[in-house]
Amino acid sequence: MTGDYLLDGLAVPHSLTLLHDLLEQVGTDHPELTASDLMLFETAVIEVAGNVVEHGHPPGEVSWTFRLAVRADRLEGTLSDSGEEYPGGAWGTDMPDTMEEDGRGLALATAVLDSLVYERAGDINEWTMVRRLT
Amino acid sequence: MAEDTRTTVLQPTGRLNMVAAPALKTLIEESVAEGRDRIVVDFTDVVFIDSSGLGALIAGLKATRQAGGDLRIAQVPEQVMTVLRLTNLDRVLRAHRTVADASHDW
Repeated sequence: MTGDYLLDGLAVPHSLTLLHDLLEQVGTDHPELTASDLMLFETAVIEVAGNVVEHGHPPGEVSWTFRLAVRADRLEGTLSDSGEEYPGGAWGTDMPDTMEEDGRGLALATAVLDSLVYERAGDINEWTMVRRLT
Repeated sequence: MAEDTRTTVLQPTGRLNMVAAPALKTLIEESVAEGRDRIVVDFTDVVFIDSSGLGALIAGLKATRQAGGDLRIAQVPEQVMTVLRLTNLDRVLRAHRTVADASHDW
């Protein structure tokens, strides 16, 4: 079964709750998805969105649109935001030292996805997240 | 046996994300400031953690250890355990089966 979802809002901490709720709804609508696939995809979505909340400029004024496609073979999410270009550059899967408090978000997202791509399209930041279903 | 005034159990609930993590970090700091530097975080009612939540735990681990105590975790659900493993934090935050298991032999 396939499905498409869309959520608009501001890139502020409270909006993360709405993303969690949306993913909970996806789980209800699609009982064929394994708990593990959904849980790991949710982990990635919240990390990428949290990164936009934390680093998006101007703070509190960035709006976003999250689109989610449930397909037979994958979950695909796209988070588009109106903030200034993401300044962070490349990232990898290397985790910071265990006693560091920050810097794990995108590495964690990358670890649970098959692909995480960032693109600057016009004046929009676009993060595309794909997890192939197990 | 003398009363244990150094141990406390914290029970966050729901999603330990960017919204909730600062409050947990503050609770831990207050506890340490009051001399309760042996902290067990009971995950029974936590359904999700993100890197902000992990950051609060690491901040708590450092604060308790600097005071001569420690921070331990118990009743850890699957999502939290997976995230701890993926970030290598299972090396410094060993999951205890129950709060009772975590609360002795400091």
